[in-house]
Amino acid sequence: MTAPLEPRIAAYIASRVPGARDVAVDALARISGGASRETYRFRLQYTDAAGVPVERRLILRRDPPASLIETQRRVEFAAYQAFHGSSVPVPEMLWLEEQDDALDHPFFIAQELTGFETGAYNLQQPPYAQHQASYGLRKWTILGEIAKADPVALGLTEVMDPIAPDACWKRELDYWEGVLDEDEITPQPVIRAAIRWLRANPPPPAQKIGVVHGDYRTGNFLYDDKGEIHGILDWEMAHLGDPLEDLGWGLNRIWCMARDDRRGGLLPHAEAVAIWERASGLTADPAALHWWELFNCVKGQGIWVSSARAWTDNENRDPIMIFSAWLMLNPQDRAALELMGRL
Amino acid sequence: MKPDENLVLADFAARFAGEIAPQVQPAYLAAAIGMSAGILGMIAEDWDRSASRRVEENRAVRGLFRDAAGLGLEAGLAARLAALAEGNDDDLRLSALEAGNEALRAALIDLHAAVEAMEGAAAKALNDAIWRELSASTQRRRLSAGSF
Repeated sequence: MTAPLEPRIAAYIASRVPGARDVAVDALARISGGASRETYRFRLQYTDAAGVPVERRLILRRDPPASLIETQRRVEFAAYQAFHGSSVPVPEMLWLEEQDDALDHPFFIAQELTGFETGAYNLQQPPYAQHQASYGLRKWTILGEIAKADPVALGLTEVMDPIAPDACWKRELDYWEGVLDEDEITPQPVIRAAIRWLRANPPPPAQKIGVVHGDYRTGNFLYDDKGEIHGILDWEMAHLGDPLEDLGWGLNRIWCMARDDRRGGLLPHAEAVAIWERASGLTADPAALHWWELFNCVKGQGIWVSSARAWTDNENRDPIMIFSAWLMLNPQDRAALELMGRL
Repeated sequence: MKPDENLVLADFAARFAGEIAPQVQPAYLAAAIGMSAGILGMIAEDWDRSASRRVEENRAVRGLFRDAAGLGLEAGLAARLAALAEGNDDDLRLSALEAGNEALRAALIDLHAAVEAMEGAAAKALNDAIWRELSASTQRRRLSAGSF
């Protein structure tokens, strides 16, 4: 039987905070939403070196045995750190541990931003639905801020793989086609046709090499009930690349939670793109954006078949692995067909 | 069996999501039960059509393979398609229908790629027919919970 986590977390933090005494962890609870990491919230209490009592609400993100998305936690941690305190709201990162000794798997610990929602479908219900335009404005403005950011100045070129502007598309397409080759359980004729089209019609070089969040969508940010966004989460697929990649993912049809044309269940396609262009100072060339939107159908299908594979191979039997696969595989095909004018 | 399987599954899904999950702590387990309910709901929705949609699709794809005869495809691919076109769905177990469907759709990928690279009206017509079948295949698989 695995030892309780609370004392082990407390012991780890005690070793990382000089002078800390009476370190205690309680109220530990696993929370949902993290398909690629096990996510827990807990309360930390200790007395600091100056004798002052400290209490903090924190988040533990720990690697599972297998996940929806294979990622590097160091890159995720660095991305959060880079944007903390900027116009891109993110929680404060505290400790990164890449060894298994302390908690059996690598993990990081971060500030918990309390009192906010993340649920994608809640935005279609009161009291949130009346603020959809505000959430949409903030969502695509913040994505524009990410696109505008200088990865060199942020220090992210130290931890993220370099890429040339004309190589972004091929690296990403090669990677996700490889994921499909490795993980698909059933043939995917729609997505294979999309891959052939993408290779035959490559996009222009990226306008700039920017920070790509990698999973920027409704459901991956914290929001209040007044139309404001307070935290951008789930940076586990962050990398350097073409900023249009992120825009294309967020615009993907599969995130139309309102079941109409509003992207992310918030704003029409054209409005979202215009907001992003204003905030980023970049141009979303329609043909290039179309390429990246279709590419993101390939990427999405790569994620969904990987989750089905992990469940099938008994690597991870969390219901989210099969739920996401069954729910998303067909809409993802339909999104690709629509973009190719074949639905 | 009576009551019908799809009705039983749909009822379990509704009870898990509406009655059980809201009373479960911690939130992670409640969410896991809610997602399990969602999975049961999807199975319930697909249950009645499971065999018919596979048979319909297998017939449609075999028809495309028959239409490909005479196009001048590479000999190995042409022979493979001809053999698959001769298949049948006499075994109505879902596992057998699904195995047949996977073999057909794998070959359909190769046919589609080959036809895309060919010139001529016949190739274009078959290409269009393949696209229509791909669109129809997503219609057969649609679930009410899907966003698109």
